[in-house]
Formats: sequence, C-alpha cells, structure tokens
Amino acid sequence: MLTILIATPFLSALAALLPVSRDFRLKLFLAVSVIYSLITALFWKDLPASEYNGFLVLDSLGLILLSIISFLFLSVAIFMIGYFQHEQRSNRTLSACVLFLLSTMTLVAVSYHFGLLWVAIEATTLFSAPLISFHRNQQSLQATWRYLLICSVGIALSLMGTFLLAIAAHDVHTLLLPALLKGAPLLSVNWLKLSIIFFIVGYGCKMGLAPTHSWKPEAYGQSTGMVGVLMAGVLPQCSFLALLRISQICNKTGLTGFYSSILIVSGLLSFVVPAIFILGEKNIKRAFAYSSIEHMGFLVLGLGLGGVGLFGALFHMINNALAKVIMFLTAGSIAQKYGSSRTDDIRGVIHIYPVTGIFMIAALLAGTGVFPFATFHSELLILNASIISQHYFLAAVGIICLAVMFIGIGKIVLGVIHGQPKEPLLAKKENVIMNAAIAVAVVLLISIGLWMPSPLEHLLHHAVTLIGAV
Amino acid sequence: MTSWVDVICIIVVFLSLVILSNSRVTAMIRVFALQSFVLGLLPFFLHISGMSGRVVMISLVTIILKAGLVPYILFWAIRHVSMRTEIKPILGFGTSIILGAIVIAGAFWVSLSLKLPGKPVSDLILPCSLSTVLLGFMIMVTRTRAVTQVLGYLILENGIFLFAISLFDEMPALIEMGVLLDIFVAVFIMAIVVNHINEEFEKNTVSVGRSKMGETF
Repeated sequence: MLTILIATPFLSALAALLPVSRDFRLKLFLAVSVIYSLITALFWKDLPASEYNGFLVLDSLGLILLSIISFLFLSVAIFMIGYFQHEQRSNRTLSACVLFLLSTMTLVAVSYHFGLLWVAIEATTLFSAPLISFHRNQQSLQATWRYLLICSVGIALSLMGTFLLAIAAHDVHTLLLPALLKGAPLLSVNWLKLSIIFFIVGYGCKMGLAPTHSWKPEAYGQSTGMVGVLMAGVLPQCSFLALLRISQICNKTGLTGFYSSILIVSGLLSFVVPAIFILGEKNIKRAFAYSSIEHMGFLVLGLGLGGVGLFGALFHMINNALAKVIMFLTAGSIAQKYGSSRTDDIRGVIHIYPVTGIFMIAALLAGTGVFPFATFHSELLILNASIISQHYFLAAVGIICLAVMFIGIGKIVLGVIHGQPKEPLLAKKENVIMNAAIAVAVVLLISIGLWMPSPLEHLLHHAVTLIGAV
Repeated sequence: MTSWVDVICIIVVFLSLVILSNSRVTAMIRVFALQSFVLGLLPFFLHISGMSGRVVMISLVTIILKAGLVPYILFWAIRHVSMRTEIKPILGFGTSIILGAIVIAGAFWVSLSLKLPGKPVSDLILPCSLSTVLLGFMIMVTRTRAVTQVLGYLILENGIFLFAISLFDEMPALIEMGVLLDIFVAVFIMAIVVNHINEEFEKNTVSVGRSKMGETF
C-alpha cells in the first residue's frame, strides 16, 4: 500500500513530462491527488503494514504529515485548474515537479531509516527548486540559486549528522528507528551529541529556522502562490518530522535536556528575527515568508518544551499547513490578478474582488493566530507550555513578537485591500474554482479551532506518546 | 593495506588545496574529477581481502557518477567562454592557501579528541574528511562564481563521502546509492540553473555589464 502511494505520483510525474496537453496534466494531477487523499483517509481507520523489512512504516507522526500532504496537494490541484485558465505558460515542469515532490514527500513521511529519510528530504529540496523559477526572470533565478545552495549545504550537514549517528550506533549496526530505540543504552552519547548538533543545523536550515532563514523570503517571494503553499506548508514540516524522529532517540537516551535547550534557543531566534524584518516589508509573499519563519519557531519551541508544548507543536503542524493554504493561495490569486505582489502595485482588493478581499483578511487572522482560527489554540498551547515550565522571558518575547507580526502583516494586508487601483486590471472576474480551494481551508481551520474532532485528538495524543517525552 | 588508504586520504586533502588555489574553472573541474576518482578507489583498498559485489558496485557507481558524469555536466554548464576564469575572489589566492593550511591543522587538532568506536582502518580518515569538508566550505564562501560554488559544494560532499566510507557496514548499499544519486541530481539541477542564469545575464548585458556574467550575488 505504501509503495503504491509513493509510486503512483512518481509514475504520473513521468507521464506529465511527456508531450501531452496542459489540460491533461492538470486532470492527471487532480486525479492523483484525489486517489492519494482517499488512500490516506483509509489509513485513519487502519495503519498499513510495514514494507521492505521495516524501512517503510507509517506511524501516527507519519500519518499527521501524510494527511497534511494529501490535503495541501488536493487544494493546490483544484486551485491550479483555476489558475491555468488565465495563464498561457506551459505547465510541464511545474506539474512534473509537483508530482515528484508529492512522491518524495510521501517517502519522508513513511521512512523509518535515517539514511532513507535523508535521501527523501534531499530529493524534496531538488524537486522543489525548479518550481521557484516558474516565472523565469533574473530575480526568481537568483532566488532558486540561493535556495538550492543554502539548502543543499544544510542537507549535506545533516548527511554528516546521519553518519555521525551511524558511528554512535556502532554497536546497534543499523539506523532503523525501532532498533535504535531498542538499543538506546548501547549508543555512544558523545557521538550522538555531535550528530544532534549537525541534525539541528542541517534540517533546521531546511525548515528555515532563524540564523539560516535567508533563502525563505527570496524563494517564497518569487514563487507562485501554489508553489508557495507547498514550500511553506509541507516542505519545512518534512524536516520537522526528522527532528521529531531524533527527539524520539534523545528521549530514550536521556539527552532530552541537551536537545531541547538547542531547540528553544533556535525557536527564540526565529521569533525575533522575522519581527525585526517584517515592519519594512513591501511584498505580500515575502511578508508571509517571515510569518512562516515565525511558525517554524513555534514548532521547534513546542518540541523543545515538551508536554503540552509538544501536543501544541503537533497540532500546530496541521494548523500551520492550513493557514499557509489560505495565505499563499490568496496571495497567488491576487498576484495573478494584479500582475505583481508588491504592495505599491495592489490597491482596493475588497472593492474589486470582494471574496478575495475577505480571504485576504482571513489570511491575516489565520497567519497571526487570531481566534476562532485554530492557529490561535496551538500557539496558545505552546506559549502556555513555556509559562508552565517557568520560561517567563520566552513567553514574554513570544507575545511581543506575535504582536509585532500582527502589526506588520496587518499593515500590508489592510493597505492592499483598501484604496483605488492605479491601472486597469487583467481579469475582472473572480475565479470560482480558485476561491473554492481557499474557502475549504478557511472553513476547516475555523472548525478545528472551534471543536476538535475526537479522531484527531486521539491521533495527536498517540503521536505524543510515541515521542515519549517526559 | 592501511598505507594505501593513508595515501588516498592525503591526496584528497591535497587536491582540495589545489582547487582552493586555482583560478581557472576548467582546471578546477578536472582536479575535482581526479579527486573523485581517487575516492572511488578507496573502497577497493579498504576491503582488499574480502572483495564483494557490493564494494565493486559502490566503487564503480562513485567513479562513473562523480568522476565522469558530474564533471561532464559542469563543463556543459560553462560552455560560454567568458565563464571560464574566476574573477576577484573575496579572499586572495595566497590568503586562501594560508587559511586553508590553518583549517587543516585545526581539523587534525579537533580529531585528536574524537575517537572512533571499533577498530578504525586508518587514523587519517577522520581528520582528512573534516579538512576536506572545511576546505569545501571555504571555496563556497570565498568565490563569487556560481560554478565555483557548486565545486565547493561537491568538495564538501567528497569530504563527507570519505567519512562515510569508513562506516561501510552500517549503511545498506541501496541507501548509499540513493545518496550518490541525490548528489548527482543536485548537480544536474544546479548546472541547469547556472545555465539559465547565464542566459538571463546575456540578455541583459547592457544593464548588467559583461564582467558580472555568472556571478550569483
């Protein structure tokens, strides 16, 4: 079953590379996403059996990521149909790479071997790079280059971390997760510490945590809205899954304190840095990229704090993904209508496109964590965890930075939805399909904000016990 | 055959230094190919008594991909003549060499305090791989050309590979192949982007100026 889930998008990607019509590619992508989502929905009832001698296993953590992947790709597949009604460019590279990305991300979610996990995460980097330069111009090529180079180096460091883990696990003779957890007392602690540092720097670079975040505003700012969703919503969370897997080992070997202190520091940095840069920002997508850095900060902070914070972090994985759908798809739809995503060029969205204008406000509220959007709850849980564990300074900084982010993004969003447009616009009508894709995410994010369904709560609790934090 | 392993380790570090001090991109790619070829031979010497199909396969794949295809793709990416010489690196070549020597000394000093579990084949593997990784970083940071940055990345990768070979048993061969394949695809995509960057700059030569061709930032 897992093999099918990985192979189907891969084969479809190969088919999308063939000289077929644009419509066929869009339909193929939609069909694959629908089938993929149905299979994932089945996994909520029964987890599939492990495959290839335990190399591919789906557990609760993987299922969270898999559900996020399936929802996001489905949204993008629907949105893409609307988007390409107004777009003349070929979608060959775009749809092939998106499908390759789907395949490799699935591999990330189900791989239980640290080497395989690395191979899969590196592959997601490679297949997402061509997506950034969809509008092939100087800026987007530079953004692609910066993304490719910074992330490749980051990922190379985590390869080093993987090998250091192999040295630490010299007496276990394998890098399979269950064997490592079972043989935890045999691991050499010093080598493990070294490998943890490399892992956090490497996978943190891919997540866009603060000191290594510089590729994020460039890459998200230059890519189209659909690509932005995938790059901000799932790609960093794939690396976060790797950090979760490492925390499983740390909790078994008594290195929880060491691991969480590093995570808390990088989480704190990821709060402060975007708050500094957001206020001068003049591009919607770049502003949303800074918001994404902050959300990643929340994830690692929650993981570092453990307990309620860990539950919050896992919940935030889902909320962050849904919020990113609203933010980047709306930004993409506006960018297509105005031919730019700079705030100077966009005025009066709510007067000309009322529905998109409302979505823009929803994006502001969802992205900054305002009730009733579920991001509010998960952010509150994580801040709560920092108060429970008596990190009062951390909570104070977090709240101040959240306020600054709200002001920064609010200024941009309110600026673009009011006022009068300068030039006559490209498309006068709203696109129903594009709006439908966004509306589903808005409704979903509000409803899990108001009421958490019991299967979801059960899954999150099970995932927390799987990590085994004390 | 510890002595041969030692020799290979030294050659790898030495070739990294050669690349660091070179100014011609074509020469740098050739030296990189040589370095990868030497590295590809390492599994043979490590397992000279117990040769298995797995050893041969990893050796062959490494040599074909890293010493054959990757340099070929890089040459394809720089077929524009103006790309072939390095222009004003951030650090001068003399300074780079001295810094490189300090980096190597530092790597040896650090690895004194790191002890590999089990019986290491050679004491030089760890310090040499660390030096190569750090020299790769130096090349990436001090050069402005896109192609040279890719070369720096590849040298860094070679350093990690040297390190990985010493832990041959823990990694299944299939995963090792996956790692190599990923690196190959990375270079492939990087070469395409480098090529696109060149084309874009050529279109805008009036506004940008020819001297900036191929520079990334």
